[in-house]
Amino acid sequence: MKKFGMTVLFVIVLYALQTSLLPRVAYHGVTADFMLLFVTSTAFLKGSRFGALAGFSVGLLQDLASGTFLGMNAFTRLLLGYLIGKFSDQVFKEQFFLPVCASIPVTIANYFILALLMILLGYRFNLMVHLQYTLLPMLAYQLAFAYPVHRLAYELDKRYRTKA
Amino acid sequence: MSGRYRKNRGTGKKIGILIVVLISLFCIIFFSARGRFRAPILNQAVSVVVTPFQSAISWVGSQLNYVTSNIWEIATVHQQNKMLRNEVEQLRIQNLHASEYDAENQRLRALLGYKQSATQFNLVAARVIGRESATWSSVIEINRGTRDGVDVDMAVVTEKGLVGHVIEAGPTSSKVELILDPRSSVGTLVQRADSRVAGIVEGDMDNPTMPRMVNIPKTADVDEGDVIVTSGFGGVYPKGLMVGTVSEMRNDEGGLLKIAILEPAVDFQRLEDVMVITASREAPPAPLKTPPQTPGTETDPAAQAAAAAAAAEESDAGSPSAPEASSADSSTAAGEGSAQ
Repeated sequence: MKKFGMTVLFVIVLYALQTSLLPRVAYHGVTADFMLLFVTSTAFLKGSRFGALAGFSVGLLQDLASGTFLGMNAFTRLLLGYLIGKFSDQVFKEQFFLPVCASIPVTIANYFILALLMILLGYRFNLMVHLQYTLLPMLAYQLAFAYPVHRLAYELDKRYRTKA
Repeated sequence: MSGRYRKNRGTGKKIGILIVVLISLFCIIFFSARGRFRAPILNQAVSVVVTPFQSAISWVGSQLNYVTSNIWEIATVHQQNKMLRNEVEQLRIQNLHASEYDAENQRLRALLGYKQSATQFNLVAARVIGRESATWSSVIEINRGTRDGVDVDMAVVTEKGLVGHVIEAGPTSSKVELILDPRSSVGTLVQRADSRVAGIVEGDMDNPTMPRMVNIPKTADVDEGDVIVTSGFGGVYPKGLMVGTVSEMRNDEGGLLKIAILEPAVDFQRLEDVMVITASREAPPAPLKTPPQTPGTETDPAAQAAAAAAAAEESDAGSPSAPEASSADSSTAAGEGSAQ
Protein backbone atom coordinates (compact mmCIF):
# COMPACT_ATOMS: atom_id res chain seq x y z
CA MET A 1 0.00 0.00 0.00
CA LYS A 2 2.87 2.32 0.93
CA LYS A 3 4.59 1.45 -2.32
CA PHE A 4 1.45 2.30 -4.28
CA GLY A 5 1.13 5.63 -2.44
CA MET A 6 4.78 6.50 -3.09
CA THR A 7 4.40 5.63 -6.79
CA VAL A 8 1.28 7.82 -7.10
CA LEU A 9 3.08 10.70 -5.34
CA PHE A 10 6.09 10.22 -7.62
CA VAL A 11 3.87 10.36 -10.73
CA ILE A 12 2.03 13.49 -9.53
CA VAL A 13 5.30 15.27 -8.73
CA LEU A 14 6.69 14.28 -12.15
CA TYR A 15 3.54 15.63 -13.82
CA ALA A 16 3.68 18.86 -11.83
CA LEU A 17 7.38 19.27 -12.78
CA GLN A 18 6.53 18.61 -16.43
CA THR A 19 3.76 21.18 -16.54
CA SER A 20 5.05 23.85 -14.14
CA LEU A 21 8.83 23.89 -14.34
CA LEU A 22 9.71 22.54 -17.78
CA PRO A 23 7.74 25.21 -19.72
CA ARG A 24 10.41 27.65 -18.51
CA VAL A 25 12.97 25.81 -20.65
CA ALA A 26 10.58 24.90 -23.48
CA TYR A 27 11.54 25.24 -27.13
CA HIS A 28 8.58 26.53 -29.18
CA GLY A 29 6.33 25.26 -26.40
CA VAL A 30 7.72 21.72 -26.62
CA THR A 31 9.20 20.07 -23.53
CA ALA A 32 10.06 16.59 -22.30
CA ASP A 33 7.27 14.10 -21.65
CA PHE A 34 8.12 12.75 -18.19
CA MET A 35 4.99 10.61 -18.15
CA LEU A 36 6.11 8.70 -21.23
CA LEU A 37 9.58 8.24 -19.74
CA PHE A 38 8.03 6.91 -16.53
CA VAL A 39 5.88 4.40 -18.47
CA THR A 40 8.96 3.25 -20.41
CA SER A 41 10.95 2.74 -17.20
CA THR A 42 8.10 0.96 -15.39
CA ALA A 43 7.49 -1.34 -18.34
CA PHE A 44 11.20 -2.20 -18.52
CA LEU A 45 11.42 -2.89 -14.79
CA LYS A 46 8.10 -4.63 -14.17
CA GLY A 47 7.04 -6.25 -17.44
CA SER A 48 4.08 -6.00 -19.76
CA ARG A 49 1.24 -6.28 -17.20
CA PHE A 50 2.48 -3.46 -14.98
CA GLY A 51 3.69 -1.52 -18.02
CA ALA A 52 0.21 -1.55 -19.53
CA LEU A 53 -1.40 -0.68 -16.18
CA ALA A 54 1.04 2.17 -15.53
CA GLY A 55 0.58 3.42 -19.12
CA PHE A 56 -3.19 3.46 -18.82
CA SER A 57 -3.22 5.17 -15.37
CA VAL A 58 -0.59 7.76 -16.18
CA GLY A 59 -2.15 8.49 -19.59
CA LEU A 60 -5.59 8.92 -18.04
CA LEU A 61 -4.17 11.25 -15.37
CA GLN A 62 -2.55 13.31 -18.09
CA ASP A 63 -5.77 13.41 -20.16
CA LEU A 64 -7.88 14.48 -17.19
CA ALA A 65 -5.39 16.99 -15.81
CA SER A 66 -4.39 18.64 -19.06
CA GLY A 67 -7.78 19.04 -20.74
CA THR A 68 -6.57 17.48 -23.97
CA PHE A 69 -8.57 14.92 -26.01
CA LEU A 70 -9.85 12.49 -23.40
CA GLY A 71 -8.44 8.97 -23.70
CA MET A 72 -5.73 9.83 -26.20
CA ASN A 73 -2.74 9.56 -23.89
CA ALA A 74 -4.30 6.62 -22.04
CA PHE A 75 -4.59 4.79 -25.37
CA THR A 76 -1.02 5.37 -26.57
CA ARG A 77 0.66 4.81 -23.21
CA LEU A 78 -1.30 1.62 -22.54
CA LEU A 79 -0.25 0.22 -25.91
CA LEU A 80 3.37 1.30 -25.57
CA GLY A 81 3.61 0.14 -21.93
CA TYR A 82 2.42 -3.31 -22.95
CA LEU A 83 4.76 -3.58 -25.96
CA ILE A 84 7.83 -2.32 -24.06
CA GLY A 85 7.01 -4.73 -21.23
CA LYS A 86 6.84 -7.62 -23.69
CA PHE A 87 10.22 -6.63 -25.09
CA SER A 88 11.77 -6.15 -21.65
CA ASP A 89 11.12 -9.81 -20.74
CA GLN A 90 14.05 -10.66 -23.03
CA VAL A 91 16.58 -8.23 -21.47
CA PHE A 92 18.50 -7.76 -18.23
CA LYS A 93 16.68 -5.36 -15.88
CA GLU A 94 19.66 -3.88 -14.05
CA GLN A 95 21.24 -2.18 -17.04
CA PHE A 96 20.45 1.46 -17.86
CA PHE A 97 21.60 1.85 -21.44
CA LEU A 98 18.63 0.18 -23.11
CA PRO A 99 15.79 1.97 -21.22
CA VAL A 100 17.46 5.33 -21.84
CA CYS A 101 17.98 4.64 -25.54
CA ALA A 102 14.48 3.17 -25.81
CA SER A 103 13.07 6.60 -24.97
CA ILE A 104 13.82 7.64 -28.57
CA PRO A 105 11.88 4.95 -30.48
CA VAL A 106 9.13 5.08 -27.83
CA THR A 107 8.73 8.84 -28.30
CA ILE A 108 8.67 8.42 -32.08
CA ALA A 109 6.09 5.63 -31.82
CA ASN A 110 3.99 7.70 -29.41
CA TYR A 111 4.19 10.68 -31.79
CA PHE A 112 3.04 8.71 -34.82
CA ILE A 113 0.18 6.98 -32.99
CA LEU A 114 -1.03 10.39 -31.79
CA ALA A 115 -0.60 11.83 -35.30
CA LEU A 116 -2.67 8.98 -36.72
CA LEU A 117 -5.41 9.59 -34.14
CA MET A 118 -5.44 13.30 -34.96
CA ILE A 119 -5.81 12.52 -38.67
CA LEU A 120 -8.63 10.09 -37.88
CA LEU A 121 -10.29 12.87 -35.86
CA GLY A 122 -10.24 15.04 -38.97
CA TYR A 123 -7.33 17.40 -38.23
CA ARG A 124 -4.96 18.05 -41.12
CA PHE A 125 -1.33 19.17 -40.80
CA ASN A 126 1.92 19.13 -42.69
CA LEU A 127 3.77 16.18 -41.21
CA MET A 128 7.25 17.29 -42.27
CA VAL A 129 6.88 20.76 -40.74
CA HIS A 130 5.33 19.33 -37.60
CA LEU A 131 8.14 16.78 -37.28
CA GLN A 132 10.70 19.56 -37.45
CA TYR A 133 8.99 21.85 -34.94
CA THR A 134 7.70 19.26 -32.50
CA LEU A 135 9.26 15.82 -32.71
CA LEU A 136 12.93 16.77 -33.07
CA PRO A 137 13.06 19.12 -30.03
CA MET A 138 11.04 16.62 -28.03
CA LEU A 139 13.50 13.81 -28.85
CA ALA A 140 16.37 15.97 -27.59
CA TYR A 141 14.52 16.68 -24.33
CA GLN A 142 13.54 13.03 -23.90
CA LEU A 143 17.13 11.89 -24.33
CA ALA A 144 18.32 14.47 -21.82
CA PHE A 145 15.79 13.51 -19.14
CA ALA A 146 15.52 9.75 -19.78
CA TYR A 147 18.37 8.80 -17.45
CA PRO A 148 17.27 10.82 -14.37
CA VAL A 149 13.66 9.64 -14.67
CA HIS A 150 14.70 6.00 -15.16
CA ARG A 151 17.16 6.24 -12.28
CA LEU A 152 14.44 7.58 -9.94
CA ALA A 153 11.96 4.92 -11.07
CA TYR A 154 14.62 2.23 -10.62
CA GLU A 155 15.56 3.40 -7.10
CA LEU A 156 11.91 3.55 -6.07
CA ASP A 157 11.32 0.05 -7.39
CA LYS A 158 14.52 -1.31 -5.82
CA ARG A 159 13.76 0.20 -2.42
CA TYR A 160 10.36 -1.45 -2.13
CA ARG A 161 11.53 -4.70 -3.77
CA THR A 162 14.23 -5.17 -1.11
CA LYS A 163 11.78 -4.34 1.70
CA ALA A 164 9.31 -6.89 0.33
CA MET B 1 1.39 -30.25 -21.55
CA SER B 2 -1.51 -28.93 -19.43
CA GLY B 3 0.82 -26.23 -17.96
CA ARG B 4 1.66 -24.89 -21.39
CA TYR B 5 -2.04 -24.97 -22.34
CA ARG B 6 -2.90 -22.99 -19.17
CA LYS B 7 -0.11 -20.47 -19.87
CA ASN B 8 -1.32 -19.95 -23.45
CA ARG B 9 -4.87 -19.52 -22.19
CA GLY B 10 -3.67 -16.90 -19.67
CA THR B 11 -1.77 -14.96 -22.33
CA GLY B 12 -4.74 -15.11 -24.69
CA LYS B 13 -7.02 -13.78 -21.95
CA LYS B 14 -4.60 -10.90 -21.25
CA ILE B 15 -4.43 -9.96 -24.92
CA GLY B 16 -8.22 -10.17 -25.11
CA ILE B 17 -8.59 -7.75 -22.18
CA LEU B 18 -5.99 -5.44 -23.75
CA ILE B 19 -7.86 -5.35 -27.07
CA VAL B 20 -11.19 -4.63 -25.33
CA VAL B 21 -9.63 -1.77 -23.32
CA LEU B 22 -7.95 -0.34 -26.43
CA ILE B 23 -11.20 -0.42 -28.43
CA SER B 24 -13.06 1.22 -25.51
CA LEU B 25 -10.44 3.96 -25.31
CA PHE B 26 -10.61 4.43 -29.07
CA CYS B 27 -14.38 4.99 -28.80
CA ILE B 28 -13.92 7.37 -25.82
CA ILE B 29 -11.41 9.46 -27.83
CA PHE B 30 -13.86 9.87 -30.70
CA PHE B 31 -16.89 10.55 -28.53
CA SER B 32 -15.02 13.06 -26.35
CA ALA B 33 -13.56 14.82 -29.43
CA ARG B 34 -17.11 15.29 -30.73
CA GLY B 35 -18.16 16.60 -27.30
CA ARG B 36 -20.47 13.66 -26.57
CA PHE B 37 -18.47 12.27 -23.67
CA ARG B 38 -17.16 14.27 -20.74
CA ALA B 39 -15.93 13.45 -17.26
CA PRO B 40 -16.20 16.78 -15.40
CA ILE B 41 -16.15 15.24 -11.90
CA LEU B 42 -13.02 13.21 -12.65
CA ASN B 43 -11.42 16.26 -14.28
CA GLN B 44 -12.08 18.35 -11.19
CA ALA B 45 -10.93 15.60 -8.83
CA VAL B 46 -7.62 15.28 -10.70
CA SER B 47 -7.25 19.08 -10.76
CA VAL B 48 -7.83 19.27 -7.01
CA VAL B 49 -5.07 16.70 -6.42
CA VAL B 50 -2.57 18.03 -8.96
CA THR B 51 -3.05 21.81 -8.54
CA PRO B 52 -1.30 22.14 -5.12
CA PHE B 53 1.78 20.37 -6.51
CA GLN B 54 1.73 22.52 -9.63
CA SER B 55 1.37 25.68 -7.54
CA ALA B 56 4.23 24.67 -5.27
CA ILE B 57 6.56 23.76 -8.14
CA SER B 58 5.57 26.86 -10.08
CA TRP B 59 6.42 28.93 -7.00
CA VAL B 60 9.79 27.17 -6.67
CA GLY B 61 10.40 27.81 -10.37
CA SER B 62 9.63 31.51 -10.09
CA GLN B 63 11.88 31.78 -7.02
CA LEU B 64 14.69 30.05 -8.90
CA ASN B 65 14.12 32.39 -11.80
CA TYR B 66 14.23 35.35 -9.43
CA VAL B 67 17.47 34.17 -7.81
CA THR B 68 19.22 33.45 -11.11
CA SER B 69 18.14 36.77 -12.58
CA ASN B 70 19.43 38.54 -9.44
CA ILE B 71 22.78 36.79 -9.72
CA TRP B 72 22.98 37.77 -13.37
CA GLU B 73 22.11 41.35 -12.54
CA ILE B 74 24.84 41.53 -9.90
CA ALA B 75 27.35 40.13 -12.41
CA THR B 76 26.47 42.79 -14.94
CA VAL B 77 25.87 45.69 -12.56
CA HIS B 78 28.76 47.92 -13.74
CA GLN B 79 27.76 47.79 -17.37
CA GLN B 80 24.14 48.21 -16.38
CA ASN B 81 25.04 51.29 -14.29
CA LYS B 82 26.59 53.00 -17.31
CA MET B 83 23.63 52.15 -19.47
CA LEU B 84 21.22 53.38 -16.81
CA ARG B 85 23.02 56.72 -16.52
CA ASN B 86 22.62 57.20 -20.27
CA GLU B 87 19.03 56.12 -20.03
CA VAL B 88 18.35 58.59 -17.20
CA GLU B 89 19.65 61.44 -19.35
CA GLN B 90 17.47 60.39 -22.24
CA LEU B 91 14.46 59.88 -19.99
CA ARG B 92 14.86 63.37 -18.52
CA ILE B 93 14.64 64.82 -22.00
CA GLN B 94 11.72 62.55 -22.82
CA ASN B 95 10.03 63.49 -19.56
CA LEU B 96 10.20 67.16 -20.49
CA HIS B 97 8.60 66.40 -23.84
CA ALA B 98 6.03 64.17 -22.18
CA SER B 99 5.04 66.94 -19.76
CA GLU B 100 4.46 69.23 -22.71
CA TYR B 101 2.45 66.58 -24.52
CA ASP B 102 0.51 65.90 -21.35
CA ALA B 103 -0.43 69.53 -20.97
CA GLU B 104 -1.38 69.72 -24.64
CA ASN B 105 -3.37 66.53 -24.34
CA GLN B 106 -5.31 67.87 -21.37
CA ARG B 107 -6.09 71.08 -23.20
CA LEU B 108 -7.26 69.22 -26.29
CA ARG B 109 -9.37 66.86 -24.21
CA ALA B 110 -11.03 69.77 -22.45
CA LEU B 111 -11.62 71.53 -25.75
CA LEU B 112 -13.16 68.54 -27.46
CA GLY B 113 -15.22 67.64 -24.42
CA TYR B 114 -14.06 64.05 -24.39
CA LYS B 115 -14.29 62.08 -21.25
CA GLN B 116 -12.16 59.05 -20.54
CA SER B 117 -14.46 56.11 -21.19
CA ALA B 118 -15.23 53.89 -18.26
CA THR B 119 -13.48 50.52 -18.13
CA GLN B 120 -15.35 48.12 -20.35
CA PHE B 121 -14.55 44.87 -18.58
CA ASN B 122 -14.59 43.31 -15.13
CA LEU B 123 -11.26 41.53 -14.86
CA VAL B 124 -9.85 38.89 -12.50
CA ALA B 125 -6.05 38.63 -12.45
CA ALA B 126 -4.63 35.11 -12.53
CA ARG B 127 -1.24 33.42 -12.56
CA VAL B 128 -0.33 30.62 -14.97
CA ILE B 129 0.56 27.58 -12.86
CA GLY B 130 0.78 24.86 -15.50
CA ARG B 131 1.10 24.35 -19.19
CA GLU B 132 0.77 21.21 -21.24
CA SER B 133 3.47 20.68 -23.85
CA ALA B 134 2.30 22.28 -27.10
CA THR B 135 2.44 19.05 -29.12
CA TRP B 136 -1.19 18.59 -30.08
CA SER B 137 -3.16 20.99 -27.93
CA SER B 138 -2.39 24.27 -26.17
CA VAL B 139 -3.95 24.45 -22.75
CA ILE B 140 -2.73 26.34 -19.69
CA GLU B 141 -3.84 26.09 -16.09
CA ILE B 142 -4.47 29.23 -14.04
CA ASN B 143 -4.82 29.66 -10.28
CA ARG B 144 -8.34 31.11 -10.32
CA GLY B 145 -11.58 29.15 -10.34
CA THR B 146 -15.28 29.36 -9.64
CA ARG B 147 -14.60 30.74 -6.14
CA ASP B 148 -13.07 33.81 -7.80
CA GLY B 149 -15.96 34.20 -10.23
CA VAL B 150 -14.27 32.44 -13.13
CA ASP B 151 -16.53 30.24 -15.25
CA VAL B 152 -16.48 28.25 -18.48
CA ASP B 153 -16.38 30.23 -21.77
CA MET B 154 -14.96 33.39 -20.22
CA ALA B 155 -12.35 35.14 -22.34
CA VAL B 156 -8.79 35.37 -21.03
CA VAL B 157 -6.56 38.29 -22.00
CA THR B 158 -3.35 40.11 -21.20
CA GLU B 159 -2.74 43.80 -21.63
CA LYS B 160 -1.43 42.97 -25.11
CA GLY B 161 -4.40 41.00 -26.40
CA LEU B 162 -6.43 37.81 -26.45
CA VAL B 163 -5.05 34.63 -24.84
CA GLY B 164 -7.97 32.18 -25.10
CA HIS B 165 -11.02 31.08 -23.18
CA VAL B 166 -11.80 29.00 -20.10
CA ILE B 167 -12.78 25.42 -20.97
CA GLU B 168 -12.96 24.01 -17.47
CA ALA B 169 -13.41 25.81 -14.18
CA GLY B 170 -12.65 24.08 -10.91
CA PRO B 171 -13.06 25.69 -7.47
CA THR B 172 -9.51 27.04 -7.28
CA SER B 173 -8.09 26.56 -10.75
CA SER B 174 -9.21 26.62 -14.36
CA LYS B 175 -8.04 25.37 -17.71
CA VAL B 176 -7.67 27.85 -20.54
CA GLU B 177 -7.63 26.79 -24.17
CA LEU B 178 -5.22 29.12 -25.98
CA ILE B 179 -6.04 30.58 -29.39
CA LEU B 180 -3.09 28.46 -30.61
CA ASP B 181 -5.03 25.24 -29.91
CA PRO B 182 -6.29 23.57 -33.10
CA ARG B 183 -9.72 23.15 -31.46
CA SER B 184 -9.99 26.89 -30.83
CA SER B 185 -11.87 29.12 -33.26
CA VAL B 186 -12.28 32.85 -32.73
CA GLY B 187 -14.57 35.09 -34.77
CA THR B 188 -12.42 38.00 -35.94
CA LEU B 189 -12.26 40.87 -38.37
CA VAL B 190 -9.67 43.18 -39.83
CA GLN B 191 -9.46 46.38 -37.77
CA ARG B 192 -8.72 48.64 -40.75
CA ALA B 193 -11.77 50.83 -41.39
CA ASP B 194 -11.83 50.33 -45.16
CA SER B 195 -11.47 46.55 -44.92
CA ARG B 196 -13.45 45.04 -41.97
CA VAL B 197 -13.14 41.57 -43.52
CA ALA B 198 -14.42 38.85 -41.17
CA GLY B 199 -12.75 35.46 -40.69
CA ILE B 200 -12.07 32.74 -38.17
CA VAL B 201 -8.77 32.48 -36.31
CA GLU B 202 -7.77 28.94 -35.38
CA GLY B 203 -4.66 27.15 -34.18
CA ASP B 204 -2.29 25.83 -36.82
CA MET B 205 -0.84 22.39 -36.17
CA ASP B 206 1.98 23.03 -38.65
CA ASN B 207 3.17 26.03 -36.70
CA PRO B 208 2.00 25.87 -33.08
CA THR B 209 3.25 29.39 -32.30
CA MET B 210 1.35 31.25 -35.03
CA PRO B 211 -2.42 30.94 -35.48
CA ARG B 212 -4.07 31.49 -38.83
CA MET B 213 -7.15 33.34 -40.06
CA VAL B 214 -9.18 31.20 -42.42
CA ASN B 215 -12.27 31.60 -44.62
CA ILE B 216 -11.03 34.83 -46.22
CA PRO B 217 -12.46 35.34 -49.71
CA LYS B 218 -9.84 35.51 -52.44
CA THR B 219 -10.81 39.06 -53.38
CA ALA B 220 -10.95 40.32 -49.78
CA ASP B 221 -8.92 43.35 -48.81
CA VAL B 222 -6.47 41.88 -46.29
CA ASP B 223 -2.80 42.85 -46.35
CA GLU B 224 0.31 41.99 -44.40
CA GLY B 225 0.53 44.17 -41.31
CA ASP B 226 -3.25 44.41 -40.85
CA VAL B 227 -4.38 44.25 -37.25
CA ILE B 228 -6.90 41.48 -36.44
CA VAL B 229 -9.39 41.96 -33.59
CA THR B 230 -12.25 39.87 -32.23
CA SER B 231 -15.57 40.44 -33.96
CA GLY B 232 -17.77 39.65 -30.96
CA PHE B 233 -19.72 37.04 -32.97
CA GLY B 234 -20.40 33.86 -31.05
CA GLY B 235 -20.66 35.49 -27.67
CA VAL B 236 -17.51 34.03 -26.05
CA TYR B 237 -15.06 36.79 -26.91
CA PRO B 238 -16.07 40.46 -26.51
CA LYS B 239 -15.64 42.65 -29.58
CA GLY B 240 -12.45 44.56 -30.20
CA LEU B 241 -9.83 42.43 -28.42
CA MET B 242 -6.48 42.43 -30.22
CA VAL B 243 -5.65 38.98 -31.65
CA GLY B 244 -2.56 39.68 -33.75
CA THR B 245 -1.20 41.12 -36.96
CA VAL B 246 -1.09 39.51 -40.39
CA SER B 247 2.45 38.42 -41.13
CA GLU B 248 1.85 36.43 -44.32
CA MET B 249 -0.95 35.74 -46.81
CA ARG B 250 -1.32 32.32 -48.41
CA ASN B 251 -3.77 30.65 -50.76
CA ASP B 252 -6.03 27.96 -49.33
CA GLU B 253 -5.49 24.38 -50.52
CA GLY B 254 -8.70 24.57 -52.55
CA GLY B 255 -7.56 27.81 -54.20
CA LEU B 256 -10.89 29.60 -53.60
CA LEU B 257 -10.02 31.19 -50.27
CA LYS B 258 -7.04 32.82 -48.61
CA ILE B 259 -5.35 32.13 -45.28
CA ALA B 260 -3.65 34.82 -43.20
CA ILE B 261 -0.83 33.68 -40.93
CA LEU B 262 -0.92 35.80 -37.77
CA GLU B 263 1.77 37.02 -35.45
CA PRO B 264 -0.13 36.79 -32.15
CA ALA B 265 -0.33 39.94 -30.05
CA VAL B 266 0.47 37.93 -26.93
CA ASP B 267 3.84 36.26 -26.42
CA PHE B 268 2.65 32.77 -25.48
CA GLN B 269 6.18 31.59 -24.66
CA ARG B 270 6.37 34.07 -21.78
CA LEU B 271 2.84 33.85 -20.47
CA GLU B 272 2.94 34.26 -16.70
CA ASP B 273 0.09 36.55 -15.70
CA VAL B 274 -3.29 36.79 -17.41
CA MET B 275 -6.69 38.37 -16.77
CA VAL B 276 -10.06 36.67 -17.03
CA ILE B 277 -12.94 38.81 -18.31
CA THR B 278 -15.74 37.91 -15.90
CA ALA B 279 -18.17 40.50 -17.30
CA SER B 280 -18.11 42.83 -20.25
CA ARG B 281 -20.27 45.72 -21.31
CA GLU B 282 -20.63 47.49 -24.59
CA ALA B 283 -18.55 50.67 -24.84
CA PRO B 284 -20.65 53.76 -24.05
CA PRO B 285 -22.06 55.23 -27.27
CA ALA B 286 -20.77 58.56 -28.56
CA PRO B 287 -22.96 61.52 -27.55
CA LEU B 288 -25.59 62.40 -30.14
CA LYS B 289 -25.14 65.63 -32.08
CA THR B 290 -27.91 67.65 -33.71
CA PRO B 291 -27.46 67.57 -37.49
CA PRO B 292 -27.05 70.99 -39.17
CA GLN B 293 -30.40 72.25 -40.42
CA THR B 294 -30.92 73.77 -43.83
CA PRO B 295 -31.76 77.50 -43.56
CA GLY B 296 -35.47 78.08 -44.09
CA THR B 297 -36.46 74.53 -43.03
CA GLU B 298 -35.78 74.82 -39.29
CA THR B 299 -38.17 72.96 -37.02
CA ASP B 300 -38.49 76.03 -34.74
CA PRO B 301 -37.36 79.15 -36.65
CA ALA B 302 -38.14 81.53 -33.75
CA ALA B 303 -35.96 79.59 -31.29
CA GLN B 304 -33.15 79.31 -33.86
CA ALA B 305 -33.22 83.05 -34.49
CA ALA B 306 -33.15 83.79 -30.74
CA ALA B 307 -30.16 81.46 -30.25
CA ALA B 308 -28.30 83.06 -33.15
CA ALA B 309 -28.97 86.55 -31.75
CA ALA B 310 -27.76 85.53 -28.28
CA ALA B 311 -24.56 84.07 -29.77
CA ALA B 312 -23.93 87.26 -31.74
CA GLU B 313 -24.42 89.41 -28.62
CA GLU B 314 -21.98 87.27 -26.64
CA SER B 315 -19.31 87.49 -29.31
CA ASP B 316 -19.76 91.28 -29.49
CA ALA B 317 -19.37 91.61 -25.75
CA GLY B 318 -16.17 89.51 -25.97
CA SER B 319 -16.79 87.97 -22.55
CA PRO B 320 -13.99 85.37 -21.74
CA SER B 321 -16.18 83.43 -19.29
CA ALA B 322 -18.80 82.47 -21.88
CA PRO B 323 -16.82 79.77 -23.79
CA GLU B 324 -15.58 78.30 -20.53
CA ALA B 325 -19.11 78.03 -19.26
CA SER B 326 -20.32 76.36 -22.45
CA SER B 327 -17.36 73.99 -22.40
CA ALA B 328 -18.11 73.06 -18.79
CA ASP B 329 -21.76 72.49 -19.67
CA SER B 330 -20.88 70.24 -22.57
CA SER B 331 -18.41 68.17 -20.53
CA THR B 332 -21.03 67.75 -17.81
CA ALA B 333 -23.53 66.62 -20.41
CA ALA B 334 -21.00 64.16 -21.83
CA GLY B 335 -20.32 62.81 -18.33
CA GLU B 336 -23.97 62.13 -17.74
CA GLY B 337 -24.26 60.46 -21.11
CA SER B 338 -21.48 58.02 -20.38
CA ALA B 339 -22.80 57.36 -16.90
CA GLN B 340 -26.14 56.43 -18.38
